[in-house]
Amino acid sequence: MSDSEQIMSCRLNSSCECIGVLISMVEVVGRRAGLSDKQINRMKLAVDEMFANIARHAYHGHEGAVEMSASWRKKQLRFELRDYADPLSASDIRSWARPAAAGDELKPGGLGMQLMRAVMDRVEHEALADGNRWLLIKDLGVSAPNEEHSYEA
Amino acid sequence: MKLEINATDQNDGVLRLKLDGVVNIQTAVDLRRQLKPMLGKAKQQVHVDLSGVSFIDSAGLATLIEGLQWSRAAEGRRFVLSGLCDNVRDIFELAKLDTVFEIEQGGAV
Repeated sequence: MSDSEQIMSCRLNSSCECIGVLISMVEVVGRRAGLSDKQINRMKLAVDEMFANIARHAYHGHEGAVEMSASWRKKQLRFELRDYADPLSASDIRSWARPAAAGDELKPGGLGMQLMRAVMDRVEHEALADGNRWLLIKDLGVSAPNEEHSYEA
Repeated sequence: MKLEINATDQNDGVLRLKLDGVVNIQTAVDLRRQLKPMLGKAKQQVHVDLSGVSFIDSAGLATLIEGLQWSRAAEGRRFVLSGLCDNVRDIFELAKLDTVFEIEQGGAV
Protein backbone atom coordinates (compact mmCIF):
# COMPACT_ATOMS: atom_id res chain seq x y z
CA MET A 1 0.00 0.00 0.00
CA SER A 2 1.29 3.46 -0.89
CA ASP A 3 2.03 5.93 1.91
CA SER A 4 0.70 8.80 -0.17
CA GLU A 5 -2.83 9.96 0.56
CA GLN A 6 -5.64 8.68 -1.62
CA ILE A 7 -9.06 10.25 -1.66
CA MET A 8 -12.50 9.21 -2.82
CA SER A 9 -15.57 11.41 -2.47
CA CYS A 10 -19.26 11.57 -3.28
CA ARG A 11 -22.27 13.84 -2.76
CA LEU A 12 -25.77 12.58 -2.19
CA ASN A 13 -28.81 13.29 -0.07
CA SER A 14 -29.78 12.10 3.37
CA SER A 15 -32.48 9.74 2.14
CA CYS A 16 -32.12 6.24 3.58
CA GLU A 17 -31.91 4.85 0.05
CA CYS A 18 -28.53 6.53 -0.32
CA ILE A 19 -26.89 4.65 2.50
CA GLY A 20 -26.09 1.81 0.10
CA VAL A 21 -23.90 4.14 -1.95
CA LEU A 22 -21.86 5.13 1.08
CA ILE A 23 -21.51 1.55 2.22
CA SER A 24 -20.31 0.51 -1.23
CA MET A 25 -17.77 3.31 -1.12
CA VAL A 26 -16.52 2.14 2.27
CA GLU A 27 -16.16 -1.37 0.86
CA VAL A 28 -14.00 -0.09 -2.02
CA VAL A 29 -11.90 2.12 0.24
CA GLY A 30 -11.47 -0.66 2.77
CA ARG A 31 -10.28 -3.09 0.09
CA ARG A 32 -7.84 -0.54 -1.31
CA ALA A 33 -6.54 0.24 2.15
CA GLY A 34 -5.95 -3.46 2.75
CA LEU A 35 -8.41 -3.90 5.61
CA SER A 36 -9.74 -7.30 6.65
CA ASP A 37 -13.40 -8.23 6.18
CA LYS A 38 -13.99 -7.62 9.88
CA GLN A 39 -12.36 -4.17 9.75
CA ILE A 40 -14.33 -3.23 6.63
CA ASN A 41 -17.55 -4.34 8.33
CA ARG A 42 -16.72 -2.10 11.27
CA MET A 43 -15.96 0.88 9.01
CA LYS A 44 -19.29 0.28 7.27
CA LEU A 45 -20.98 0.31 10.66
CA ALA A 46 -19.39 3.60 11.69
CA VAL A 47 -20.28 5.36 8.42
CA ASP A 48 -23.80 3.89 8.48
CA GLU A 49 -24.34 5.17 12.01
CA MET A 50 -22.98 8.62 11.25
CA PHE A 51 -25.16 8.91 8.16
CA ALA A 52 -28.18 7.79 10.21
CA ASN A 53 -27.41 10.41 12.85
CA ILE A 54 -27.18 13.14 10.21
CA ALA A 55 -30.47 12.04 8.65
CA ARG A 56 -32.29 11.75 11.99
CA HIS A 57 -30.78 14.43 14.17
CA ALA A 58 -29.29 17.04 11.84
CA TYR A 59 -31.93 16.98 9.12
CA HIS A 60 -34.73 15.63 11.37
CA GLY A 61 -35.89 13.24 8.67
CA HIS A 62 -36.04 15.86 5.94
CA GLU A 63 -33.83 15.40 2.93
CA GLY A 64 -30.65 17.39 2.71
CA ALA A 65 -27.24 17.18 1.10
CA VAL A 66 -24.57 14.90 2.53
CA GLU A 67 -21.04 14.79 1.22
CA MET A 68 -18.54 12.14 2.17
CA SER A 69 -14.88 11.89 1.41
CA ALA A 70 -12.70 8.99 2.39
CA SER A 71 -8.96 9.36 2.54
CA TRP A 72 -6.37 6.88 3.52
CA ARG A 73 -2.70 6.44 3.72
CA LYS A 74 -0.58 3.73 5.18
CA LYS A 75 -1.36 4.41 8.82
CA GLN A 76 -4.71 6.15 8.88
CA LEU A 77 -8.18 5.97 7.38
CA ARG A 78 -10.45 9.03 7.57
CA PHE A 79 -14.07 9.47 6.64
CA GLU A 80 -15.34 13.04 6.56
CA LEU A 81 -19.08 13.67 6.29
CA ARG A 82 -20.50 17.10 5.70
CA ASP A 83 -24.12 18.22 6.04
CA TYR A 84 -25.84 21.54 5.45
CA ALA A 85 -28.32 21.33 8.29
CA ASP A 86 -28.46 23.73 11.22
CA PRO A 87 -25.16 23.67 13.11
CA LEU A 88 -25.36 21.44 16.16
CA SER A 89 -23.97 22.20 19.58
CA ALA A 90 -22.03 19.83 21.78
CA SER A 91 -25.01 19.51 24.10
CA ASP A 92 -27.25 18.61 21.14
CA ILE A 93 -24.94 15.74 20.32
CA ARG A 94 -24.53 14.59 23.90
CA SER A 95 -28.30 14.31 24.19
CA TRP A 96 -28.30 11.54 21.55
CA ALA A 97 -26.10 9.37 23.68
CA ARG A 98 -28.30 8.63 26.63
CA PRO A 99 -26.29 6.42 28.94
CA ALA A 100 -28.19 3.37 30.11
CA ALA A 101 -29.41 3.77 33.65
CA ALA A 102 -29.23 0.93 36.12
CA GLY A 103 -31.86 -1.66 35.25
CA ASP A 104 -32.40 0.01 31.92
CA GLU A 105 -29.79 -1.85 29.96
CA LEU A 106 -32.11 -2.54 27.07
CA LYS A 107 -32.72 1.08 26.17
CA PRO A 108 -31.39 1.43 22.63
CA GLY A 109 -30.88 5.22 22.70
CA GLY A 110 -27.33 6.27 21.93
CA LEU A 111 -26.38 2.88 20.59
CA GLY A 112 -25.23 4.35 17.29
CA MET A 113 -22.76 6.70 18.97
CA GLN A 114 -21.57 3.87 21.21
CA LEU A 115 -20.85 1.71 18.18
CA MET A 116 -19.03 4.50 16.35
CA ARG A 117 -16.84 5.12 19.36
CA ALA A 118 -16.15 1.41 19.71
CA VAL A 119 -14.85 0.96 16.18
CA MET A 120 -13.15 4.29 15.45
CA ASP A 121 -10.18 5.86 17.19
CA ARG A 122 -11.62 9.36 16.91
CA VAL A 123 -15.12 10.69 16.32
CA GLU A 124 -15.18 14.44 15.89
CA HIS A 125 -17.75 17.12 15.11
CA GLU A 126 -17.28 20.68 13.96
CA ALA A 127 -20.15 23.14 13.73
CA LEU A 128 -19.81 25.30 10.62
CA ALA A 129 -21.64 28.45 9.59
CA ASP A 130 -23.78 26.47 7.19
CA GLY A 131 -23.83 22.97 8.60
CA ASN A 132 -21.73 20.35 10.33
CA ARG A 133 -18.56 18.45 9.62
CA TRP A 134 -18.11 14.97 11.04
CA LEU A 135 -14.84 13.12 11.11
CA LEU A 136 -14.30 9.42 11.69
CA ILE A 137 -10.67 8.40 12.04
CA LYS A 138 -9.20 4.94 12.28
CA ASP A 139 -5.52 4.43 12.94
CA LEU A 140 -4.57 1.39 10.93
CA GLY A 141 -2.48 -1.30 12.48
CA VAL A 142 -3.85 -0.59 15.94
CA SER A 143 -6.06 -3.47 16.96
CA ALA A 144 -7.76 -2.46 20.17
CA PRO A 145 -11.35 -1.86 19.08
CA ASN A 146 -12.82 -1.49 22.53
CA GLU A 147 -10.26 0.83 24.02
CA GLU A 148 -11.26 4.26 25.23
CA HIS A 149 -11.98 6.60 22.33
CA SER A 150 -12.10 10.35 22.25
CA TYR A 151 -15.15 12.31 21.29
CA GLU A 152 -14.85 15.96 20.60
CA ALA A 153 -17.71 18.26 19.83
CA MET B 1 -30.13 -2.62 0.22
CA LYS B 2 -32.91 -5.05 0.85
CA LEU B 3 -34.26 -7.20 3.63
CA GLU B 4 -36.49 -10.19 2.99
CA ILE B 5 -38.64 -11.21 5.91
CA ASN B 6 -40.38 -14.57 6.00
CA ALA B 7 -42.60 -15.41 8.94
CA THR B 8 -43.96 -18.88 9.67
CA ASP B 9 -46.37 -20.03 12.34
CA GLN B 10 -46.64 -23.82 12.70
CA ASN B 11 -49.05 -23.66 15.63
CA ASP B 12 -46.47 -25.06 18.02
CA GLY B 13 -46.28 -21.93 20.13
CA VAL B 14 -43.27 -20.67 18.24
CA LEU B 15 -43.30 -17.90 15.67
CA ARG B 16 -40.38 -18.06 13.30
CA LEU B 17 -38.90 -15.16 11.44
CA LYS B 18 -36.25 -15.69 8.78
CA LEU B 19 -34.34 -12.59 7.70
CA ASP B 20 -32.23 -12.29 4.56
CA GLY B 21 -30.28 -9.18 3.63
CA VAL B 22 -29.27 -6.08 5.54
CA VAL B 23 -30.95 -4.74 8.68
CA ASN B 24 -30.25 -1.01 8.82
CA ILE B 25 -31.96 2.37 9.08
CA GLN B 26 -33.58 1.72 5.70
CA THR B 27 -34.93 -1.79 6.31
CA ALA B 28 -35.49 -1.86 10.07
CA VAL B 29 -38.81 -0.08 9.59
CA ASP B 30 -40.21 -3.05 7.67
CA LEU B 31 -38.83 -5.46 10.22
CA ARG B 32 -40.47 -3.55 13.03
CA ARG B 33 -43.75 -3.46 11.12
CA GLN B 34 -43.75 -7.25 10.84
CA LEU B 35 -42.34 -8.02 14.25
CA LYS B 36 -44.67 -5.79 16.24
CA PRO B 37 -47.92 -7.75 15.57
CA MET B 38 -46.09 -11.01 16.20
CA LEU B 39 -45.25 -9.85 19.67
CA GLY B 40 -48.94 -9.21 20.28
CA LYS B 41 -49.90 -12.83 19.65
CA ALA B 42 -50.31 -15.33 22.43
CA LYS B 43 -47.08 -17.14 21.71
CA GLN B 44 -44.41 -18.34 24.06
CA GLN B 45 -41.51 -17.94 21.70
CA VAL B 46 -40.35 -15.86 18.80
CA HIS B 47 -37.37 -17.26 16.96
CA VAL B 48 -35.44 -14.98 14.62
CA ASP B 49 -33.07 -16.65 12.18
CA LEU B 50 -30.36 -14.20 11.18
CA SER B 51 -28.32 -16.63 9.08
CA GLY B 52 -29.13 -14.66 5.93
CA VAL B 53 -28.22 -11.30 7.45
CA SER B 54 -24.85 -9.88 6.41
CA PHE B 55 -25.02 -6.55 8.28
CA ILE B 56 -26.96 -4.99 11.12
CA ASP B 57 -26.78 -1.49 12.59
CA SER B 58 -28.18 0.19 15.69
CA ALA B 59 -31.61 0.62 14.05
CA GLY B 60 -31.77 -3.14 13.52
CA LEU B 61 -30.51 -3.86 17.02
CA ALA B 62 -33.09 -1.48 18.48
CA THR B 63 -35.85 -3.38 16.70
CA LEU B 64 -34.62 -6.68 18.09
CA ILE B 65 -34.42 -5.12 21.54
CA GLU B 66 -38.18 -4.58 21.34
CA GLY B 67 -38.53 -8.33 20.99
CA LEU B 68 -36.30 -8.85 23.96
CA GLN B 69 -38.38 -6.43 26.01
CA TRP B 70 -41.49 -8.39 25.00
CA SER B 71 -39.95 -11.63 26.25
CA ARG B 72 -39.02 -10.03 29.55
CA ALA B 73 -42.51 -8.67 30.10
CA ALA B 74 -43.93 -12.09 30.95
CA GLU B 75 -42.37 -15.15 32.52
CA GLY B 76 -41.81 -18.08 30.18
CA ARG B 77 -41.55 -16.08 27.00
CA ARG B 78 -38.46 -16.51 24.89
CA PHE B 79 -37.07 -14.31 22.14
CA VAL B 80 -34.34 -16.33 20.50
CA LEU B 81 -31.82 -15.36 17.83
CA SER B 82 -29.83 -17.79 15.74
CA GLY B 83 -27.48 -18.01 12.79
CA LEU B 84 -25.36 -14.93 13.42
CA CYS B 85 -22.48 -14.70 10.95
CA ASP B 86 -19.12 -13.48 12.25
CA ASN B 87 -19.67 -9.85 11.19
CA VAL B 88 -23.13 -9.67 12.75
CA ARG B 89 -21.93 -11.35 15.93
CA ASP B 90 -19.09 -8.81 16.08
CA ILE B 91 -21.62 -5.97 16.05
CA PHE B 92 -23.64 -7.62 18.84
CA GLU B 93 -20.42 -7.88 20.82
CA LEU B 94 -19.47 -4.25 20.16
CA ALA B 95 -22.92 -3.23 21.40
CA LYS B 96 -22.48 -5.55 24.40
CA LEU B 97 -25.71 -7.28 23.45
CA ASP B 98 -24.25 -10.74 22.83
CA THR B 99 -24.76 -11.66 26.47
CA VAL B 100 -28.14 -9.96 26.75
CA PHE B 101 -29.94 -11.82 23.98
CA GLU B 102 -30.56 -15.56 23.96
CA ILE B 103 -28.47 -16.59 20.96
CA GLU B 104 -28.50 -20.14 19.65
CA GLN B 105 -25.52 -21.54 17.82
CA GLY B 106 -26.08 -22.65 14.22
CA GLY B 107 -28.20 -21.24 11.44
CA ALA B 108 -31.26 -23.45 11.17
CA VAL B 109 -34.39 -22.64 13.12
